[in-house]
Amino acid sequence: MRAFVRRLTFACILLPAMLAAALAAAPDVRVKMPNFGSLAEKASDSVNITLDSALLSIAAGFLDSSKPEDAAAKELIAGLKGIYVKSYTFDKDYAYPSADVDMLKKQLSAPLWQRLVGVRSRKEQANVDIYMAIDQGSANGLVIIASEPRQFTIVNIVGSIDLQKLHRLEGKFGIPRLQLEEKK
Amino acid sequence: MTVADACATEDLLSRAVGGESAAFTALVRKHQRLVYSLALRMLSDRHKAEDLAQDVFLQLHRSAASIESAAHLLFWLRRVTINRAIDRLRREPRYEDVSLEEGLLLVSDACDEDPLLQRRLRELVGRLPAAPRAVVLLRYQEDLDPAEIARTLSMSINTVKSHLKRSLAILREQVGNTAAMGPDGTASRLEHAPTKHGSVT
Amino acid sequence: MSNNLDDQLRSALRAVDPGDEFAARVMARIANESMRPRRSMPAGYQWLSAALVAAVVFGALIVHDRQVRREQQGLEARRQLIEALRVTGEKLDLAYRVVNDEAHAATRENPGA
Repeated sequence: MRAFVRRLTFACILLPAMLAAALAAAPDVRVKMPNFGSLAEKASDSVNITLDSALLSIAAGFLDSSKPEDAAAKELIAGLKGIYVKSYTFDKDYAYPSADVDMLKKQLSAPLWQRLVGVRSRKEQANVDIYMAIDQGSANGLVIIASEPRQFTIVNIVGSIDLQKLHRLEGKFGIPRLQLEEKK
Repeated sequence: MTVADACATEDLLSRAVGGESAAFTALVRKHQRLVYSLALRMLSDRHKAEDLAQDVFLQLHRSAASIESAAHLLFWLRRVTINRAIDRLRREPRYEDVSLEEGLLLVSDACDEDPLLQRRLRELVGRLPAAPRAVVLLRYQEDLDPAEIARTLSMSINTVKSHLKRSLAILREQVGNTAAMGPDGTASRLEHAPTKHGSVT
Repeated sequence: MSNNLDDQLRSALRAVDPGDEFAARVMARIANESMRPRRSMPAGYQWLSAALVAAVVFGALIVHDRQVRREQQGLEARRQLIEALRVTGEKLDLAYRVVNDEAHAATRENPGA
């Protein structure tokens, strides 16, 4: 009887506590996006996408595995917990509020976040920063901050990311060719 | 139907609605020929006609309170009997032939009429499709004019007239053929004459 | 003998009587019916059954509405996912192009490097 009570105590108290501890230990790679209210007001087109794990699984249910592009997208999002996108397009060149971008970049600090790419293009007048969250040797978060004269975009992907799988989606759904092979 | 007759029927009706079974029995006796004959000529089977006629009076017993007048009662009985018969014919469509027994049983007792020809006519009416058969019965058994038939069967007057015209043409042709080949070697000459309600066109 | 079809039909289709006992048989059936226990439910149960039917219909409508909404939500989520993947791919491509351009520019500026 005592053994049963011990097992019950373990099941009722210790297991949830252990689960909570494990969850607490997992790094939170979802960044807090600035509001960008002023950008949205001035933008001619804005995209605001919030797909948490529940919506991702619903979206996965509406992808047809018999179609190659749907199957590839389904495989890509299998390990993801969320995709958050904010993108603003303007009719004319626009100076973005640097304070909001700085606030965002402050969240992307080492050791969890590593900047993979930070490029400034004189030709395209574009700045692109790519950050990746590396935890225990595997990538489980990605942030892209891209500012072009007439477009400002932030992408935050939460979960296990495989860029090769994203590469498989090249040319599908209007996704441009990434030419990752050439990078190798 | 005379005024006195209508008053008597309405009196029976109100007493039957009040729960007086003798009044309802009298109503049944008064209308049993109408209901049973329509059922018999529609179904061409005595047992089924009896069954259907009883069903009609059972339904009348349940809904007597909704009957407003003697004329309404006649309309109701004709309509319900024909509709029930058509429903039954739809469910059991093999009622096409009048049996020999029926033919003999229904031989008219009037001595100046040709019993063989009348039997043949009943057979032929029994072979008409259900809707034209109902129209012919209401016209020649109940002596209703096309407008009354149209109201009873929820048809347009033109449809009623068309059914009558085609049915009479078929009957005339068939009876003509039968008469031409009759066992006594004589052919009855049948002509379509205007009736008291005028000719059907 | 009448020799026209109308008269012959009237005569042939003359009403016939089902017999003297017909009314008695009808009344016996009526008596039988009234003695038979009514199958219909008591008034309270009739309300209950009507309420049950209404509840089932209402439930079916809710389920149908949920299915429609779920489908709309799913299609919208799919559209957003594809849009998100498109934007992500586009920005990765931009990064790649910028890196490439800058590398080429550096090579041109310092050919000996």
